[in-house]
Amino acid sequence: MQRTTHRPRLLARPVVVALAAAVALTASACTKSEDDASDDKRSSTAAADTEQKVVTPKPGSKSCTIDAYGAEKIDLKNATVGFSQSEKEANPFRIAETQSLKDEAGKRGVKLLTANAQSQFSKQISDVQDLLAKGADLLVIAPLNSDGWEPVLRAAAAKKVPIVTIDRKINATPCKDYVSFIASDFVEQGRRAADQMIEATGGKGEVAILLGAAGNNVTTERTKGFKERIAEKAPDLKVVFEQTGDFAREKGQQVTEQLIQSKPGIKGVYAENDEMGLGAVAALKGAGKKAGAVKIVTVDGTRNAVQGIVDGWISGVVESNPRFGPLAFQTLDAFTKGEEVPQDVIIEDGAYTGDNAKQDIGKAY
Amino acid sequence: MTETALRTAPFDKTRVLAWLQSYGVYAGVAMLLIVNTVITPHFLTAENFRTQAVQVAPVVIVALGMALVIGTEGVDLSVGAVMALAASVTALYLGYGLLPALLVVAVFAAGAGLANGALVAFVGVQPIVATLALMVGGRGIALVLLPQLQDLHNPALASLGSGAVAGIPYLILIAAALALLIAFVVRRTTFGRQLLAIGDSRPAAQLAGLPVRRVLVVVYVVCALLAAVAGVLATARLQASDPTSLGNLMELSAITAVVVGGTPLTGGRISIGGTVAGAVLIQLLTATLIKHDLPPSWTQIAQAIVIVCAVYAARGRGKR
Repeated sequence: MQRTTHRPRLLARPVVVALAAAVALTASACTKSEDDASDDKRSSTAAADTEQKVVTPKPGSKSCTIDAYGAEKIDLKNATVGFSQSEKEANPFRIAETQSLKDEAGKRGVKLLTANAQSQFSKQISDVQDLLAKGADLLVIAPLNSDGWEPVLRAAAAKKVPIVTIDRKINATPCKDYVSFIASDFVEQGRRAADQMIEATGGKGEVAILLGAAGNNVTTERTKGFKERIAEKAPDLKVVFEQTGDFAREKGQQVTEQLIQSKPGIKGVYAENDEMGLGAVAALKGAGKKAGAVKIVTVDGTRNAVQGIVDGWISGVVESNPRFGPLAFQTLDAFTKGEEVPQDVIIEDGAYTGDNAKQDIGKAY
Repeated sequence: MTETALRTAPFDKTRVLAWLQSYGVYAGVAMLLIVNTVITPHFLTAENFRTQAVQVAPVVIVALGMALVIGTEGVDLSVGAVMALAASVTALYLGYGLLPALLVVAVFAAGAGLANGALVAFVGVQPIVATLALMVGGRGIALVLLPQLQDLHNPALASLGSGAVAGIPYLILIAAALALLIAFVVRRTTFGRQLLAIGDSRPAAQLAGLPVRRVLVVVYVVCALLAAVAGVLATARLQASDPTSLGNLMELSAITAVVVGGTPLTGGRISIGGTVAGAVLIQLLTATLIKHDLPPSWTQIAQAIVIVCAVYAARGRGKR
């Protein structure tokens, strides 16, 4: 008896799920967003000029060879490369990063396995272990966190799989636990943003910082560089406001609205990523300010922010280049051939200002 | 003598607690207003009050729906996800114009509410578990539909987000109208009475022959629709659809507003005025700390203290 009374309930759920899925599918089939053409514009401008360039290494900086690392020489062409992405590809930086690795692998004819940890560290650990199990000979990792990599490093070492980390560092011994680390210098990005801010404001007045997410090395380093350079070059420029915008546009907008209420005399806003900067622009527009009344400097170099410079709302954007593909594969290629590769590969980032925004917007991602 | 003194002391305490639960939130808002007038520069300006009201409007709208659900002794964790869903659906259908897009948003939101309500009313899943499914899944669907932030340029949507009548932004007017409507429904309609009766005691309501299941489903649908309204308004204000971060932790803000406003989590009683005041209290608290450039961690600690105080005040009334 009991069984029969329960049956309809058990059936109900799959039916509901199936119905919902069917509705979602049919509904998404006839969508019509505002500007469907914009996607084509985006993909067509992957110019050759956007490739990352390396800062010339200082003499005496450490390097790594395959003998020192203890792996075996292989030909990259016949190798399988595993790539573990940290965050879901929902922001321009991650989209461009993954795409760049895929493109370069395609160009070189290398088999690439990819995994995405969806911002969960435990998933990233199992992702990398999966990649190893699937037979990856070389690994490229965009780490979510810097710590907690021991189990993966041990597994990779047992299989003698070389690892290159990109955009964030792993806290481990270079040339023993991993080969090299390729990234931008976030402190330097902060310094260059400060330079742009000093130029835009004339080095006088009060400025605000929209911080990134708390407890993130990108946030601390971009803040550190900015403050250092301001203190050193423009002591008359004062940082009077530091609040987090969590790297998100809406939060950047809300915090900026509070800022311009309580400090109407603010001259500049340094946003530690483009999204918060664009939120600040929305807040200024909403408050009826004119373009350029408050100078905004951001870091990243996404298309929307560079368009903001063209429109006059943003004064400058310091680039943080996400196109790691060519450099990562170049490093792996040199390493597997037995050549010396640097342990820290620092990328030279570009910048967008009023002078070059219009012609260089194609380089933005 | 000593005996009467002993007797009156705890009696007074419960009276104070009861008063605090019902009116503490208004006292808190008044106190913050006074403190800010004294210590915050440029606080007493129309521009400032407009900013605070515009920022709090989406939270108020979501909290209204949450108050209804909590009134039935339930909880809806999926409101943030429904906001994200509304944002991405708006972006996808805006090509047909604003009104058709809003209709599709309403269909999606009603679907989400139906799923929640059906799980709670017919399948008998605990509300916290039933809505948890959609809290995770809803944002997932939103991201499948629109994988990344998209800028929107529709002029009608832009004016919805930043337009005003006689100096009062649409956002505030919509939030106020919805608050009055929900307050009317709760106090003056049969539906409102049935809702409270179910929250008070579901078995009793069932025995009394009330349409328990129907009321529950309608409540969850209304809650999802209100969340969708908030999602559309927030999107209109940002002029961009951002399903990744829109409505993040909104369920917590809404529950906080409801609880701080004096609505007990045990159901059977709803204070709409308190809910609005609760949302305003948290907004003013956050604004105060931001305007004085205190570290963001302080905001979280301050919110936690307010919640603990509210729950302490509710403790006396909660058990009967």
